[in-house]
Amino acid sequence: MERTAGMRAEEAVLRVRDVTKSFGGAAALKGVSADFLPGEVHALMGMNGAGKSTLVQILSGVLSPDSGHLEIGGHTPRNPRQARRLGVSVVPQRRELVMTLTVAENIMLGDLPTSGPVVRWRSIRQTARDALHALGLEIDVDAVAGDLTVAEQTMVEVAREVRRGGRVLILDEPTACLGPEAATQIRELVTRLRDSGVAVVFISHHISEVLGLADRITVLRDGRVTWSGLAKETDERGLVRDMVGRDVVSRRPARTAEPSEVGLSIRRLCQGRFIEDFDIEVRRGEIVAVLGPAGDAQSRLFDLLSGRRRPESGTVSIAGRAIRSGSIDRSLAGGLRCVTGDRRRLGLIPGLTVDENLLLAQDRLDRRKLHRWGRLAERAAPLRDDYRVVSLVRNPPVEQLSGGNQQKVLLAKWLGTGPAAVLLEDPTNGVDVAAMAEIHTLVDALAAEGVAVLLASSSAEEVMRLADRVVVVRDGRRVAEHRVDDITRDELIATTLGGALR
Amino acid sequence: MTTETAARTLPRVTPRSFQHAGLLVVLVLIVAYAGVATDSFLSSNNLINVLRQVSVVAVIAAGLTLLMTAGGMDFSMGGNVAVTTAVAAQLLAHGRPAWLTLLVSIALAIVIGLVNGAVVTFTGVAPFVATLATATLLDGVALLVIDGMSVSIGEHLSTLGNGRTLGLPNLVFVAVLVLGLTALVMRYTTFGRDAFAIGGNEDVARLSGINVVRDKLLLYGLAGALAGLAGIMLLSRLAASSPGTGGLQLQLTAVAAVVIGGTSLAGGRGTVGGTVLGVLLLGVVANVLNLLQISSYYQQISVGAVLLIAAIANLVRRRRH
Repeated sequence: MERTAGMRAEEAVLRVRDVTKSFGGAAALKGVSADFLPGEVHALMGMNGAGKSTLVQILSGVLSPDSGHLEIGGHTPRNPRQARRLGVSVVPQRRELVMTLTVAENIMLGDLPTSGPVVRWRSIRQTARDALHALGLEIDVDAVAGDLTVAEQTMVEVAREVRRGGRVLILDEPTACLGPEAATQIRELVTRLRDSGVAVVFISHHISEVLGLADRITVLRDGRVTWSGLAKETDERGLVRDMVGRDVVSRRPARTAEPSEVGLSIRRLCQGRFIEDFDIEVRRGEIVAVLGPAGDAQSRLFDLLSGRRRPESGTVSIAGRAIRSGSIDRSLAGGLRCVTGDRRRLGLIPGLTVDENLLLAQDRLDRRKLHRWGRLAERAAPLRDDYRVVSLVRNPPVEQLSGGNQQKVLLAKWLGTGPAAVLLEDPTNGVDVAAMAEIHTLVDALAAEGVAVLLASSSAEEVMRLADRVVVVRDGRRVAEHRVDDITRDELIATTLGGALR
Repeated sequence: MTTETAARTLPRVTPRSFQHAGLLVVLVLIVAYAGVATDSFLSSNNLINVLRQVSVVAVIAAGLTLLMTAGGMDFSMGGNVAVTTAVAAQLLAHGRPAWLTLLVSIALAIVIGLVNGAVVTFTGVAPFVATLATATLLDGVALLVIDGMSVSIGEHLSTLGNGRTLGLPNLVFVAVLVLGLTALVMRYTTFGRDAFAIGGNEDVARLSGINVVRDKLLLYGLAGALAGLAGIMLLSRLAASSPGTGGLQLQLTAVAAVVIGGTSLAGGRGTVGGTVLGVLLLGVVANVLNLLQISSYYQQISVGAVLLIAAIANLVRRRRH
């Protein structure tokens, strides 16, 4: 089962051979080999910390390997610029567009056509339009990048890299945090890229997505390749075992008691075109999912419930008591905890230690005046254990943790504060299979304690795994509501996309 | 604190002291050079004089460290000093008692700080812009108060300005007290940790239940209070308020000291220890150049160069993480 890739190595546009890379004694990659062929989608899979990002950095010339070598059409790039000139580009997880410039300017950035010192606008717009059309994309070239949806921003970045002559395109979790519809668009784009002869390196934690899209899969674990081969030669269970090293079982538990009391109720909530007359009722111990609103609408729901923003109309009540809207204090005092899906922007404070982040909210709720480091460590310890936060040194700044561990710190920060009701926004964003299973178990436990859980998710799989009921939202309105037991995953996705249910 | 908790705290403290190792080495090298190159630098009289001179900047820098850690900035502290010294000098010159003078001028300084805080917090104008505007305004007010002349206070406040306790100037004790309290506040109070949180990510701080508005007003108020205290200290040392006392030059020295000490202009990082080293470094450099009888033009150039080098060194160190 080891390394079956390399059979058609002579055609590879990009190949790595026995690459090893260590950081201060810790080996991140140990003898990794892989070939990337034109016209093929090659998925890289592995847990957080398995070495995927190190490999990507080596492929794109950011890092050079300690031993082994990397070859692009007979050349070895020494830095990102050379790699890019040889046709290797990365579309990172965080969008790298200049958000204040137009789509056309972003596509042509660094390569603006000029006559002497004067920029030729007509040419810019025409070339950009052609670049988008070549990939079958319908995006207005005069739109400002910051106004686009996340999926559209990804598309613009892809178009830019392809226009610059990208022959190997590395897409780092391009579908993370996208709703089903947007994710489908991105997958269609990937297919078109492949058909046009680009070698696509596709990174994703979603196993079903990878199995459906990739031609070839390479799985990394602890810096080694544990499996590599054609996608049709493996299945979900095999991939999980190769990634984790054991089977991961995560099943929806049977909820014992029929929940009764209403925990969280939202009545006629309105906010612009994002949320219109939104009604939902979550009973204590119940998990209700809102599926569909990705991006703007989802973050709008977070803003309204957390008190960051005042709704145009509508009420939110916890256990029958209405919370004054537009006040973070009232929302917290009412027992509502909102866990953001945007860890970087609204979740954690990167420079503070893990322990401080864990107790950031609890200490303020307790109105503590003094900050006693010894006590802090004692109180944080159970949270770290319960949420299995793993760090190399005892209490590093939270920014040094892996994405999965940061996500666990974020959940522990809020769920450890004795909530009455919780809004969870994409709780397993950017998290590997094993951590995902752990987080799902934690959410189950939360509901079992009698907390009303509202789950705003963009993943149908996650909704099927966690929720009791699901409300499907499209264009700010609820279009359907189902008991999760009465519906299949495919039916659920069809509802989200607007297809009628049989 | 029990031994067990003390032991747990310890591993965190060690890397923090290493953090300023580079700055410490530079300071030691300059001191060593000065000791060899001049006869008088290492005399106790001169060293005490250096400490006495830097104590005013140290008090301003302490307030600035806390404020900048919270992502704020007050460019008007020098202007605040100018106004405070001017008002205090006039009050004393007109025969008002020292206690009333202290009370009035520090209250005034706090009000100035709070106004800055209110403008920054409620209008959303960038702190740099808002306080640069008030700085200019305050410099003008100070000139108005003393009518562009030098106002002497005679022997008033001389216990503070020239007195010594246990052989050290009283001004130094005030500065050490302020720096020590600031360090304790930053590390061991929720208010101090809030500053780190607000500077690190204001949105997260707000969502976590931190009263960001109150904290910011307090921080600017505190910066004002310390500027007022620095003003009184400066007046007691100079025994007069003249045009150009305090103002932008003093402000820039304080900002330079804080930045050299590694406090981030973007907020979220800052230590009083670094600021102390920054203040000492600038003070020692100015003193050495004086002793070597180098023209004051070169002094300005060298202070600017030190600042630039330190700022670059801080960035390089951070990138390596």
